[in-house]
Amino acid sequence: MLKVENLTKIYPNGTQALHNVSFEVQDGEFLAVIGLSGSGKSTLLRCINRLIEPTSGKIYWDDVNITAAKGDDIRKIRRQIGMIFQQFNLVKRSSVITNVLSGRLGYTNTFTSMLHIFSKEDRDRALASLEQVGLSEKAHVRADSLSGGQQQRVGIARALMQEPKIILADEPVASLDPVLAHSILKYLELLNKERGMTVLCSLHYLDLVHRYATRAIALKDGELVFEGLPHEIDDAQFKAIYGQEAERVSLV
Amino acid sequence: MASYTTSQRTSRSKYAPALSLVIPGAGQFILGYRWRALIILVAAAISGFLVNWSLTELEIAQITLGSFITSWLWVPFLLFWMWNVYDAYRLNRGEFTQILPGILLVAIILYVIAWTVTDVKLDRLVTRIDDARLVVRDLVNPDLAVLVENGVERPCSFNCLFTYAGDRIAGRNPDQVVKASENVLDIFGRMVTARAPSWRVRLGLAETGEEVRSFQAGTMVETIAIGLMATIFSTILALPVSFLAAHNIMSRVPGGTAIYYISRTILNIVRSVDTVVWGLIVIVWVGLGTFAGVIALTIHSVAALGKLYSEEIEHIDPGPVEALTATGANLIQTIRFGVVPQIIPSFLAYTLLRWDINMRSATVVGFVAGGGIGFFVVETIRMGGYEQYATALWAVAVVIILVDTISARMRARILADQPAPENLTGRRLTFSRLRKAFYWIVGVVLFLYMWNVAEINLRDLFQPAPTFIRLVGDFLEIDLSANVVQAVLRQMLVTIFQAMLATTFGAILAIPFSFLGARNLTGGSRATVWLYYVTRSIFNVLRSIEALLYVAIFIFWVGIGPFAGMLALTVTTFALLGKLFSESIENIETGPIEAINATGANTLQKISFGILPQIIPPFISYLIYQWDINIRMATIIGFAGGGGIGLMLSTFFGSLQYHKAGTVVAFIVVVVALMDFTSAKLREKFV
Repeated sequence: MLKVENLTKIYPNGTQALHNVSFEVQDGEFLAVIGLSGSGKSTLLRCINRLIEPTSGKIYWDDVNITAAKGDDIRKIRRQIGMIFQQFNLVKRSSVITNVLSGRLGYTNTFTSMLHIFSKEDRDRALASLEQVGLSEKAHVRADSLSGGQQQRVGIARALMQEPKIILADEPVASLDPVLAHSILKYLELLNKERGMTVLCSLHYLDLVHRYATRAIALKDGELVFEGLPHEIDDAQFKAIYGQEAERVSLV
Repeated sequence: MASYTTSQRTSRSKYAPALSLVIPGAGQFILGYRWRALIILVAAAISGFLVNWSLTELEIAQITLGSFITSWLWVPFLLFWMWNVYDAYRLNRGEFTQILPGILLVAIILYVIAWTVTDVKLDRLVTRIDDARLVVRDLVNPDLAVLVENGVERPCSFNCLFTYAGDRIAGRNPDQVVKASENVLDIFGRMVTARAPSWRVRLGLAETGEEVRSFQAGTMVETIAIGLMATIFSTILALPVSFLAAHNIMSRVPGGTAIYYISRTILNIVRSVDTVVWGLIVIVWVGLGTFAGVIALTIHSVAALGKLYSEEIEHIDPGPVEALTATGANLIQTIRFGVVPQIIPSFLAYTLLRWDINMRSATVVGFVAGGGIGFFVVETIRMGGYEQYATALWAVAVVIILVDTISARMRARILADQPAPENLTGRRLTFSRLRKAFYWIVGVVLFLYMWNVAEINLRDLFQPAPTFIRLVGDFLEIDLSANVVQAVLRQMLVTIFQAMLATTFGAILAIPFSFLGARNLTGGSRATVWLYYVTRSIFNVLRSIEALLYVAIFIFWVGIGPFAGMLALTVTTFALLGKLFSESIENIETGPIEAINATGANTLQKISFGILPQIIPPFISYLIYQWDINIRMATIIGFAGGGGIGLMLSTFFGSLQYHKAGTVVAFIVVVVALMDFTSAKLREKFV
């Protein structure tokens, strides 16, 4: 279980990205995080794996206090949490297989990894991960020769290498052609349902939330304004989250 | 310059003209024209100082009014002051004012002083034209070969070689034989009989002490070895340094920001001292020779490459770094998998660019460090062997043009960054592997050979001459006594003025030629295309030879001193600016010209409204860039007799007055860093 308590983040320039956010995520949930751009979704997800240092508040994972971890302990927590990014964040000039293997670095000895030596087990695991996202035949091409959708699937394969218990997905489909959104989210759904991974995923489109999420939270100007089931977001809730001007749009 | 008159005015004050009368630029400042104010103040301070200095030190522009001795340059200075008051008055009334009169008045002061200080005597260019003719005759008739006929040898150059080739084809004069002259063998190398080197013995190819025929590298081969080894060493050393000087990496390490600022400062200081000056310091350390040249080049290029590399690291895509951090990778792993793959192409490109620059420096580092073609040139000139010197120039031109072309081609290919062809099978795969192996073997053999030629001796590096430490201490004990500072300041000003005049003359000469060398103007028709090729070839040949190597010609022509140095700089300025100007003319867009044509404009109108606005900004930008290069070059031009601070530096080093040499180097660092900063700011502002 992941428990966030009174999480607050104020950036050095004074921007308050998160204000006293508290919520819980049960193991095996698919939690959607919604809200306008700049509402604090990315900051929230990055506080969970400490890519961003929260200003105050606590995050517990089972009984471990993530926010109190230091040095090597942070890295040991991180390697159990997979992350998927809006811009895929692949090393474009490296091969697909190298990108996938780099997901294993948290478990690998520094010296051997400098020489690009990975165990047979890790290499097999990388090929298996690629097979799961349907890209085994692309293992040795350069990452920048793939399409956007394929690159995001490599991103998922990289996260799988960590054998994560939690997956943080920061707008995983926002840079993709809308028709590709389902193909990516279906992989996340699969990992959630069949392998029991907890997924925290920020999303823009409400119909995607309805379709994939088991629960949702909403942020507005850094504050938690909604927590509940996806279908509970009615018109009043919608206006509260997105503002009076907003109109519902749907994805094909 | 338009930015002055269009910038938004923030306030109005009727006291502005009065304030400008007291302190130049003060009125402009309170009216909100900050940049204009600063430039006016600096211009007034510098020109006031210079008029006073040139009068008291050198009696420049001195006039006697009764018993009162003064400089007539105070007249333009006062006019500048008055213009500044008028400017403030006009600005306050919100009227348009011209900055041109101010610039012209300062220019008069600067050029009058520069003219006298650098000892410009244009008449000598004409009156001593006969001397020039002698040099030019030698330059076009280099000592290349000897013609042997009936046991009599006589020198043979281009003309004679052509005749000989013609004779051969036609079957005339069968008893004539041509062979390479001693001079050419000195430059490129010859076969000699010598004791077998240790590696041959170890490989079992020769007995200990056996005499074998082997190739003895000439000075040009040494030069190539110096440039190549320095590039390899500096790349290896610059890699770790660049990470210490990259802000995005160091901010992830505790205490890293301090390391970042320290490394950046050191890189900037080391970079502002020219390779040749480093050569002076290095010879105290390891003694004269090619190895000293390699170290001098390496020191300067580690700093230059370190800066470029670290900027490249700072500009990488931060996404993959974030993703790797999120997987739990540590800093070293993140650098290895997230940063290194991203920077490889640009690092390679910079290394190739540096190789080009290092090859050019390697041709002159021998002036002080010994070894290489630079040392050969010093020796031949000392003996008055201008035909031999000419051969060296031709050899340098050929090698540098070749290096320039190879480096540019490879850079273009690397930066295109095409993925390697995938899925090669069967014979093509074997072929590609064989080719790779072949390149590796050639590379390793070449490296070992060049190591040998450059006389790399790492043991010397750690066993400096016993006096070295004391000398470094002496050197760092910068002498700031008044008379030393005054003398250094004077030579520094000479150097700056040399750079200024060379930039001016070079640009004036380059402008007309650049139109001839622009493909879109002369390359179009059959009748004029030869002009394009001839002009561009002149630019390329002249550009491939360093200014230091030209000085000898001008010393012969106009005599030793700052004027000769300035003329040598003018030649390289002409060639580089000519090339850059031609390229910017080629980059003109035809759309605007077509549009102006369509309005019914005449030719002059087309030029002034369609063409000039497109070429003036890049011209000014290149001019500032060239000025920056010339300042650096002018600091070393004195090593060949070109006057200025270089002459003073080599004198201090030669007479072991290291504390004074320290003063000179400190001055150079400050001035070069200052000029670097201003020119960067100016380019940002105007272009």
